[in-house]
Parts: sequence; C-alpha cells; structure tokens
Amino acid sequence: MSHFDAAGIAVYALSYDEPDALQDFAQAHGISYTLLSDPESKVIRSFGILNTLIDPDDHPWYGIPYPGSYVVDSAGLITHKFFDSNLAVRAGPEQLLAAALGEVVEDSAVDAVQADSVSVSVRLDGDALTPVVQKDLVVRFSVPSGRHVYAEPAPEGSVAVSVELDDDQRLVQRPVIRPDSESHTLAGTKESFEVHHGVFELRIPLTLNSLFSSDAGEITVSGEIRWQSCDDEVCDIPARQRFECRLPVSEAPPVALGGNRGSEIEPNAMAHFQKMTQRHGGTG
Amino acid sequence: MKPEMETRATQAGKGWADKDGFVGPFKPGNGPRSDPRGEFPTGPAVGEQLPDVHCISAEGGSFNLHQHRDNRPAVFIFFRSAVW
Repeated sequence: MSHFDAAGIAVYALSYDEPDALQDFAQAHGISYTLLSDPESKVIRSFGILNTLIDPDDHPWYGIPYPGSYVVDSAGLITHKFFDSNLAVRAGPEQLLAAALGEVVEDSAVDAVQADSVSVSVRLDGDALTPVVQKDLVVRFSVPSGRHVYAEPAPEGSVAVSVELDDDQRLVQRPVIRPDSESHTLAGTKESFEVHHGVFELRIPLTLNSLFSSDAGEITVSGEIRWQSCDDEVCDIPARQRFECRLPVSEAPPVALGGNRGSEIEPNAMAHFQKMTQRHGGTG
Repeated sequence: MKPEMETRATQAGKGWADKDGFVGPFKPGNGPRSDPRGEFPTGPAVGEQLPDVHCISAEGGSFNLHQHRDNRPAVFIFFRSAVW
C-alpha cells in the first residue's frame, strides 16, 4: 500500500458484505485501503457485473460480482480493467500500480545498447510469483534509433515481435499485453506497416496454480523471444532468443483458494457467514 | 448477456481442480466457483468515465467515490467476499 500512497493513488475494494464484516476483515488482515459495503449488490448490479450464473435462491452466494478491478486517472476515466474468467486469477498489486502509473519510461540502459542491435531483457514485475495473484513477466526491448521491429500484424514474410513460454502445467498464462504500435511508411514504396520503436515492453500475465508446491521456493520460467529488426533500407533476418529465468516464489495470500499454509479465518467469520445466509432469506 | 458456466474439472485430493489447475473445495460451476466460460460482462469500458459509486463505508457511513477520490487516480476493486 505504501507504493500506492506514495504515488497518490487511492485504493478501494467493494463487496456485498456488511460493514461490520468488513471492519473485522480489515482488522484481521491489517488492511489500510478503503473497504466498501454493498449488501444489496446495488453497485454491483449498476456496473452490470453481477454473477448471474448463480441462481437467486443459491444463498448466500447470490449477489457476488464477477471479480475484477478498474484503474482510473485523475479525471475518473477508466484507463485499465482487469477481469479474468477464472475467479482464482487476481490482478496483482504490481499490475495495478503499473497501470495507475502509466506508460513505460525510457531508462538509462538504452544508451548502452550497441548501435546496430536490439537488446532484450526479461524480468518479473514484483519480488516473487505468488499462487493466485497474477504478476507480469516483462520482456523489455531497446531498439536503436533509426531502426524498428515489426509489431502485429507483420507484413507477409516478416516476423512480428513475440514471446512464447515453454509449457508448464504449474503456470497459468494469459494473452501477452502489447504496447500500442506505430504506423511506419517506407519513403520509397509508400508501403505502410505497424512497428515498435525505442524502448517498449511486452507483458505476459502469469499466475501459479495449485500444482506448484511453494516449498520449492522458486520456479524456472523459460521460453523464446522472436523479433525482426529493420531500418528504412534493409531488414535483418528474424532473431530468436531463448531465455530462462529463475523466479522466487512467495507464499499464497492467507485467504487464497484451497486453504494454503498461512490460512487464517477471521474470528467472527462464522457469525458473519450465518448472518449473510439469513440476510438473503435462505436456510443455509 | 448470460455467459456459459465453466464446469471443466478434475478431482484433486479432497477438492476439485478447475481447467487452469486451481484446486478448491467446491466443484467448478457450483456456488462460489461459478465462473463464466468465454465472454462475460465486465462493466464500463476502458476510456469511459467510471460511474460514481454510492454505498456504505466499512464504518457504516454513506460513501461517494468521486467525492472521496478528490481528483486522485484510483484503483477500484470488486471482490467476492471478505467473509468466506
């Protein structure tokens, strides 16, 4: 939270729980962001995200949203959304922070790049991978000035920049997030295609599932990065670069699905649950 | 738009693993594990104004999002429950 506070970003989390349940939750888990109560799911309905797969008679589950988050700028315009069809895949704090802070900034490393080559680095945005919490594997490209790499869709016979991870049953991968590309027109032929210039990043959202044993402490993620770089005259042959990174793994959040180590039930949770069941007129 | 229910599952110990390998006590497609398959509604689009939110704060008072936000950028999260 201190990163959000330092950046002047307000954080809110809303659920259909009663205020007293939220207070107990905040106390039990040391939560400092603003928790909001929507016991009749009015806000959830007004956003159109009520989980309608749950039958209205299915107490107490009825009333929950499809979980997700919005990032807004200072004017209140939505700049990013994080919704996943799997309830166990949650946007991680680094993803939300990166979204709220905005675009990649050029860094000093660019100066160190050799004039005719593209440099590529791979890192995790965050200290460690954590089960259930989604984090981005970030592949950063530095393209020397005067050159470009093909974005998607690449022209016929050329290769667009891509990252493909090797299969790993323990990792849940979502589609690569690409930056906006720029249109590039060749002076001679007036031919136009999509490219990336300078410093840009591809982000691969990753989550660890229950097959991963957190006792291992780390996971090796490997894959292949492809790109093709050109100037206005000629293109290099497509490049392939294998990579392998050992990423540290930290424990699952305490209330994660599956009751991992560190699970702790807030002392009044049972009473809150009973009340919630009655609130909806159900018999449990 | 009513999405399809995601029900793909394999038994895993005392629980059930969903299609992504997450294990839970309920079988996917039941109660709190009612996940959509494919397209599902995710509310207002990127580029739109986030609707104002009027609800109750954890302290029990009335709450108004855009007033509270006071021109700060913000992250607004919808989660399922703090109780279960």
